Amino acid sequence: MSDKPSTSEAMIKMHVALIEAAATRIFPTTSTPGASEAGVINYIKRLLDEAFPELVPLYRSGCRALNRHAKRRFGVGFLRIAVTDQDVVLADFEAGRVPDFSQASDFFEVLRTHTMEGVLGEPAYGGNRDMVGWRLVGFPGHQFGYSDSYINQRVDLEPVAVDRPYPNEEEWRAKSR
Amino acid sequence: MPNPVDVCIVGMGAVGGIMAKELVSAGLKVVGLERGPLLEFENYAYKDSIRAIARRQLEERVKHEPISIRPARGAKTRLQYTTSPSNSVGGGLMIWTGSATRFTPDDFKVCTNDVQGGIAKRAGADLKGYNIADWPITYDDLEPYYERFEWEMGVSGKSGANPFEGPRRKDYPLPQLRPSTRTKLFGEACSRLSYHAYETPQGILSQAYKPPAPYDQRIPERPGCVYCGQCNNYGCHVHAKTSSPFTVIPVALETGNLDLRTRCKVFRVNTGPGGRAKGVSYFDPDGQVVEQSATMIILAGFLYENIRLLLLSGEGKKGLANSSGLVGRYIMAHGDVRTTGLFDDTIINGFIGPNGGMRMDDFNGNNFDHAGLGFIRGATIGTSGGGTPIERCDVVPPGWPRWGEKYKENLARYYTRCFDIGMHPETLPHKDNFVDLDPVRKDAWGIPLPRVTFSFHQNEHCMWRFLGEKCEGIMRETGASHVWTKPSNRGSRWAGGVRMGEDPKKSVVNGYCQTHDMKNLFVVGSSVFPSMSGYAATPTIGALAYRTAEYIRSSDKLLG
Repeated sequence: MSDKPSTSEAMIKMHVALIEAAATRIFPTTSTPGASEAGVINYIKRLLDEAFPELVPLYRSGCRALNRHAKRRFGVGFLRIAVTDQDVVLADFEAGRVPDFSQASDFFEVLRTHTMEGVLGEPAYGGNRDMVGWRLVGFPGHQFGYSDSYINQRVDLEPVAVDRPYPNEEEWRAKSR
Repeated sequence: MPNPVDVCIVGMGAVGGIMAKELVSAGLKVVGLERGPLLEFENYAYKDSIRAIARRQLEERVKHEPISIRPARGAKTRLQYTTSPSNSVGGGLMIWTGSATRFTPDDFKVCTNDVQGGIAKRAGADLKGYNIADWPITYDDLEPYYERFEWEMGVSGKSGANPFEGPRRKDYPLPQLRPSTRTKLFGEACSRLSYHAYETPQGILSQAYKPPAPYDQRIPERPGCVYCGQCNNYGCHVHAKTSSPFTVIPVALETGNLDLRTRCKVFRVNTGPGGRAKGVSYFDPDGQVVEQSATMIILAGFLYENIRLLLLSGEGKKGLANSSGLVGRYIMAHGDVRTTGLFDDTIINGFIGPNGGMRMDDFNGNNFDHAGLGFIRGATIGTSGGGTPIERCDVVPPGWPRWGEKYKENLARYYTRCFDIGMHPETLPHKDNFVDLDPVRKDAWGIPLPRVTFSFHQNEHCMWRFLGEKCEGIMRETGASHVWTKPSNRGSRWAGGVRMGEDPKKSVVNGYCQTHDMKNLFVVGSSVFPSMSGYAATPTIGALAYRTAEYIRSSDKLLG
């Protein structure tokens, strides 16, 4: 193994806090867990390392633009402004209203998509820690199947994270007979 | 060079599997060439929404096979990976939702009924730019083969449930699938509005099934659906979904007459003296060029591939079997329009299967009066909208926040309390919609990409406006608290490009999917459709495969 850091590690050192802060505003922690508790930052780090290294430049320039735009509007960098002001900055990105960064809305959409994948995706990819995202929305994960009684009711099964083996296959088959 | 064989099939998807089984069972030696792999269980039965939905284009078998697409001549072209991405033995049948409705008798006669029959005039439809044709075959010609598809492959449904369906000699082999909350809501709303909703026939077994006599009893028994909800874009982990690797492929392999070669990418149909096709050239898994000779060639790929192969073959720019100049012309796709409803008081649990559901055909084809509507044809309207949370997190009403605290609150509240009503509107064949070879972009093998030029035109837009209101009306009647409608602006369920017809000047293949120009070259699949109907194509594709195989088996001269 080489000591050279992977692409996203090199970037993340500078920008990890910015990405995490922005993701936290996209899916905030309230009385229930948000992006932070789901481990979205782990999901995005792994995504940039393993799946989409070609997106590193967009993340890098996006993070720099977040800071520039925060300074322009509020006098200091993104991490030092109030969360309500962070929301204003992010709304400008969403609408493409960032004068010196033409990819602002692209960056916002990518970040939003990846944040939601990190909240709602399979835990094996680094996010959705302890399936907090699935618990929040009421998705019981990858069940082997569903017996009739779950139609029209809140499904109160413990979520299942992995495809195989199905921990409840025996039980389900017994029920379905 | 491998030994010559009787038949070479290019593409081992829905068509290739059925035709291979039928032809090897008659003692013919068949080589089946498939560009993708025969997937192992762990490569199709995974339950992984990141892999199956969010990153499908990264799958090894998908990422080397983009198409290029543009809305019109001269417009900017972009790459797209997300159409027909299965690229494996079984093709679309591995990942389909299972919607298995037959076309109606009227669907085969659009020119006769709508154009010549005066419906277009009565509607005041503007059909400039469209080239509308009848099929050279009728519903009655296909009926016995629809039946074989349903009874061999396994379709769950109920005869007569849809008052608009064509006559059938036999009922479906399996009872309907279990209803769900959204099918109940949709069905009850339709009843109150005096529409005729029915449980969509589906290529998903409602209970364990093995085809009885007189159908092919060699097809293995499969279990019934467990309603896991992951049909669309996923392989089936219990094999209840009708897919060729669980049905016809093992039977074909068992005979010893099918030589199935995977990861083989065909790039040319070779021709010999006397105006006959003599074989194909392909790249084997190591990238070596192999020539396979065969008495008969069947192109059974998705329409982009069938068109691309014809255009890449033959002498000169015109390509093969193209004396009509129509290869690649008149492609069609449904422009799905989706109405979504969020419910404050009702739990829907859309993630519980099956993905398909209930439909109503009151506004399909000529099932309603078009007087003054400004368009011809129509759409089937049905429920959909299951899916893992990743598939639903972008379903947000216009004007509602897409991120932040309020968004989070809404997602947590409505993920289990929403569903969609979607329509499959029949798109008419238009002169500006076609596939040709991309002059610049090439795939991983250095072969020009198929370039799709496609837009929806006036008849489609006019129909969407009318039917979008109908979808909204049904959704409001279900009692949904928040309702909105969104056209997709993207094509789904593609057809056309290798038009079927009687006149060699106006079509590429005849009613048996045989090219007019070369008697031993067949093209089978949705690519031959002259019109596309408001239904998904799969049972019609399957019926054409059975019928064409029977024609080949009974025509000694073809193999002589």
